[in-house]
Amino acid sequence: MKEYSIIGKPTPNVDGPAKVTGEAAYTIDMTLPNMLYGKLLRSPYPHANILSIDTSKAEELPGVKAIITGKDTPGGKWGLWRRFRELSDQQALATDKVRFIGDPVAAVAATTEEIAEKALDLIEVEYEPLPAVFDPIEAIKDDAPMVHEDFPSNINATRHIEWGDVDKGFAEADYVREDRFVLEAAHPCAMEVHNSLASYDKGTGRLTVWTSTGSPYFVQQNLAEALKLREGDIRVIKPHVGGHYGGKNSTMPDAVNAAILSMKTGRPVKIVYNRDEEFTTTEHRTAQNMALKIGLKKDGTIVAFEVKTMTNGGAYTGLGATTLYLTGTFITMPYKIPNYRYDGVRTYTNIVWGTSIRGFGAVPAKYCSETQLDRAAKDLGIDPLEIRRKNAVIPGYEAPGQYKFESCGIQPCIEKMAVRVKEKWPKLEKDEGIGYCAFAYMSGGIFNWIDTPYAYSSAHVKVNWDGTVDLYSQAADVGQGHNTVAAMICAEELGIGIEDIRLHMGDTAHAYTDLGAWGSRETLMNGNAIKDAAAQVKQKLIDIARLKLGENIAYDLVAKNKRIFLELRPERGLSYYDLVKDAIRANDGVPLTGTGHYTPHNKGMISPAYGMGIMAMKAKVDRETGHVTVQDVLVVHDSGQIINPLGARGQVEGSIHMGLGYGLCEEMPMDQGMLLNPEFVDYKILRTRDMPEIEILDVPTYEPNGPFGAKEAAEATIAPAAPCVANAVYQATGAEFYSNVLKPEKVLKAIREAEKKQKASKATGK
Amino acid sequence: MKTIVTDFEYLPAKTVEEALELLAQHKDDDYKIIAGGQSLNTAMKHRLITPEYIIDIKGLSDLDYITFDEKSGLRIGALTTHRSLEKSPIIRDKYPVLAEMEENVASVETRNWGTVVGDLCNADPAVDPGPPLIALDAKVTIAGKGEERVVDAEEFAVDFFETLVQPGEMVTEIQIPALPPHSGVCFTKYSQIHGDYALASAAVLITLDESKKKCVNARIGLGGVGNAPVRAKKAEELLKGKEITEDLLAQAAGVASEETSPISGIEASAEYKKDLAGTLVKRVGKEALARAQKA
Repeated sequence: MKEYSIIGKPTPNVDGPAKVTGEAAYTIDMTLPNMLYGKLLRSPYPHANILSIDTSKAEELPGVKAIITGKDTPGGKWGLWRRFRELSDQQALATDKVRFIGDPVAAVAATTEEIAEKALDLIEVEYEPLPAVFDPIEAIKDDAPMVHEDFPSNINATRHIEWGDVDKGFAEADYVREDRFVLEAAHPCAMEVHNSLASYDKGTGRLTVWTSTGSPYFVQQNLAEALKLREGDIRVIKPHVGGHYGGKNSTMPDAVNAAILSMKTGRPVKIVYNRDEEFTTTEHRTAQNMALKIGLKKDGTIVAFEVKTMTNGGAYTGLGATTLYLTGTFITMPYKIPNYRYDGVRTYTNIVWGTSIRGFGAVPAKYCSETQLDRAAKDLGIDPLEIRRKNAVIPGYEAPGQYKFESCGIQPCIEKMAVRVKEKWPKLEKDEGIGYCAFAYMSGGIFNWIDTPYAYSSAHVKVNWDGTVDLYSQAADVGQGHNTVAAMICAEELGIGIEDIRLHMGDTAHAYTDLGAWGSRETLMNGNAIKDAAAQVKQKLIDIARLKLGENIAYDLVAKNKRIFLELRPERGLSYYDLVKDAIRANDGVPLTGTGHYTPHNKGMISPAYGMGIMAMKAKVDRETGHVTVQDVLVVHDSGQIINPLGARGQVEGSIHMGLGYGLCEEMPMDQGMLLNPEFVDYKILRTRDMPEIEILDVPTYEPNGPFGAKEAAEATIAPAAPCVANAVYQATGAEFYSNVLKPEKVLKAIREAEKKQKASKATGK
Repeated sequence: MKTIVTDFEYLPAKTVEEALELLAQHKDDDYKIIAGGQSLNTAMKHRLITPEYIIDIKGLSDLDYITFDEKSGLRIGALTTHRSLEKSPIIRDKYPVLAEMEENVASVETRNWGTVVGDLCNADPAVDPGPPLIALDAKVTIAGKGEERVVDAEEFAVDFFETLVQPGEMVTEIQIPALPPHSGVCFTKYSQIHGDYALASAAVLITLDESKKKCVNARIGLGGVGNAPVRAKKAEELLKGKEITEDLLAQAAGVASEETSPISGIEASAEYKKDLAGTLVKRVGKEALARAQKA
């Protein structure tokens, strides 16, 4: 493997000092002179016609500067599925009817937040409540109320995936089992709530919006649609972001209404959601019903797999349709499945909508498939790790018409796991079990539902006379550490230090397009664009160096340690700083620039590359309280060439935390569309003391499609956490789970069921 | 969905006299006392309460104390924070059960600011200090202008978020008698997440005779399983005067469980909580016994 100066070295986050000292500015910290505070009035009904809205009393309240209702908005609908206009279903304020509890109907701008909130109480809305539907199975019935008029049976999106001959596969199977699951919703719970600050310049007709987003470009596109402005007249700036976790892809009413209120008042307007709004009106991980049928040979070889899911989509689309598709693909990874069929249906219902939360469909999918696989293995008398090894893919494996693994370290990962588990946990105590789950996840998606005419990622590098570098890209650091990765890639390519790079990221007016932080795409996609841009500049320096050194043209020159030198004769070379000065002089005084871009081509339907691995958890079950203690976690993963091991570790640990929450305690119970736990007292998140030790082992590979061989390291490890826990409990007690969230009472019930079953099978001599 | 606290008049007190004077003045008004504010702020933000006056007693430093002597036992002033109780050398030496309890009260940040008495006065049925104070036979001093009364800890909370404290009154002190010889106390709570509200909690005190065989006194306090912390008197009676065996303890745990009346919630059903209370009594009872035998 190549020896790098910066890549692969544990590197502290470049934003770390600013963040830990509190100097880093998030949108939520920002104010502008003359700024007004905006608030949204939201529907108390899950489904209702709006008969009338009277804002006159609110308008009389001193300090209120503007009130808007649906008729005052430009009326543009927006969404992320822009290629399919009918799925652009979001709007600034409901006009004719509301579709979930929390759908905004009016917006107020006032001189203080308090006045804005008071004004909401003075707005009178007359509703005509309509029958509502909250469950996907109910939603598709003929007599179900329609959430959107143009969508019969409330079917928002369907996805069909098929390869091989599934029926023949099942006919050839020695063992077939079917399982049905009900998966609960979960909220991303970012520390920074959704919030936006909009400033419209009436003179120029241009709008600037600062917002807590994962993709400034998506917001720019969506604002253009919502406001009926040109994209180029809108500038979106993403300051530091206090967490994304998949919940900040969609443009939400905060940004759009702040913009409309600013256009109306000519003053900057800021809208900050409170935590209740965050829970009840922003996107979550979709609840769904899944049915799985798997066919295996006696030796554990999977021969056929069929999956059906129906998701409780909620009132709007978001990235739910993509999530539906990815649920159907990630559920097959990283296994060789010769015959596969998937049917997914996403329904519109009268609840807040679900979308692409971290793991993008893999989380519910893998929970079902990997707990089912454990049961199949037990029935067939095969070790759970062995059944995964047996079916795991090898490099070059292709799922016909869908995806292909180029770099692929899953087999060595499983081998390493087998060895380490024996060393680490040689003996299990009573009521302890080990649960396994293998996983794979994309390194950025090859999807263009957003309908961008631009490259998927781009970056611009400018080298100044003193050797300092300005790096520009719209790529988004949302806390995952992409700024650090971007600086490392740029510095490595140019052979300089991270301290030489100044970042200008996430501003649509100052940088070329990047689609943002989702689907673990930034390292690979933006990394490729940055590397491309830096390589262009490097080439200019190499050209000058070649000229000055006068060496044989057969020699290769490299940039490293702030020098450019002959690869095979390192002593012959020139200072990077001197070369930069020469090159700018030779360029008629213009700083050196390079503009790089990346768009995947011919890489299947999903992604150019996949991070993958296997996870094991040791857990102990308390048979009296039902409490599950996750004692220890072991991850062996292949993330290609890891760019920043420190950042990658943080991502893996964070994923496991969020995945364990999905498996153990996070849930969104609703009653008639009303969320019952919209605050952190009742919405349970694992705390530091609840987290087990996590050991992470790498199996490095070289990914040909990634910068320096890198690929995904951010999201793959979220999906396996919950199935690992459920499998550990299953191995310890025989308790079977057909839903996530192993709350103690549920665990206790499942254990009692298992005990009954065991007694019964003993009695019948089975 | 509102999160901005409504306007109120802020009335800080510097001394107990000042505080009692303010309370007397506003006896008939819609007021709330604030000390640490850990529960009050949340309730106000959610507009569950919208008091017109806030009487701030945080400045009553003369009520921030923990003292002990063999005769009068332990005294905890009303401004003592959870963290002070947790870290107090007196507590660790004489009543380690309270330090154990404190380690699982919310988070360090909350314990740094929230007061033990404030927690009791908020009267959430799952209040952590409730059961151990019942087991330790604690008394609570309630003061009004020119008067003072002392009530048993087990009587203090009367319903969900309701106590014996009347308008114009405040709690000034908690007293706990010195433990008789051969006594052991243990407390535990169960919540799926560390530091969370208890699904159920239990404290058991066992005092043995000279020979350390027979139980001469037992006190059991339970939390989170009723509209206020509960004293499981029937279960106590079962243990008194007997040699405590594992069977007897299990039997008492079953009886204690029947003395609860939890309600179902998002996290667990009433039946689960009832069973859980029994399980916890069995577990802490065993540990309390072991401690009594060592004491």
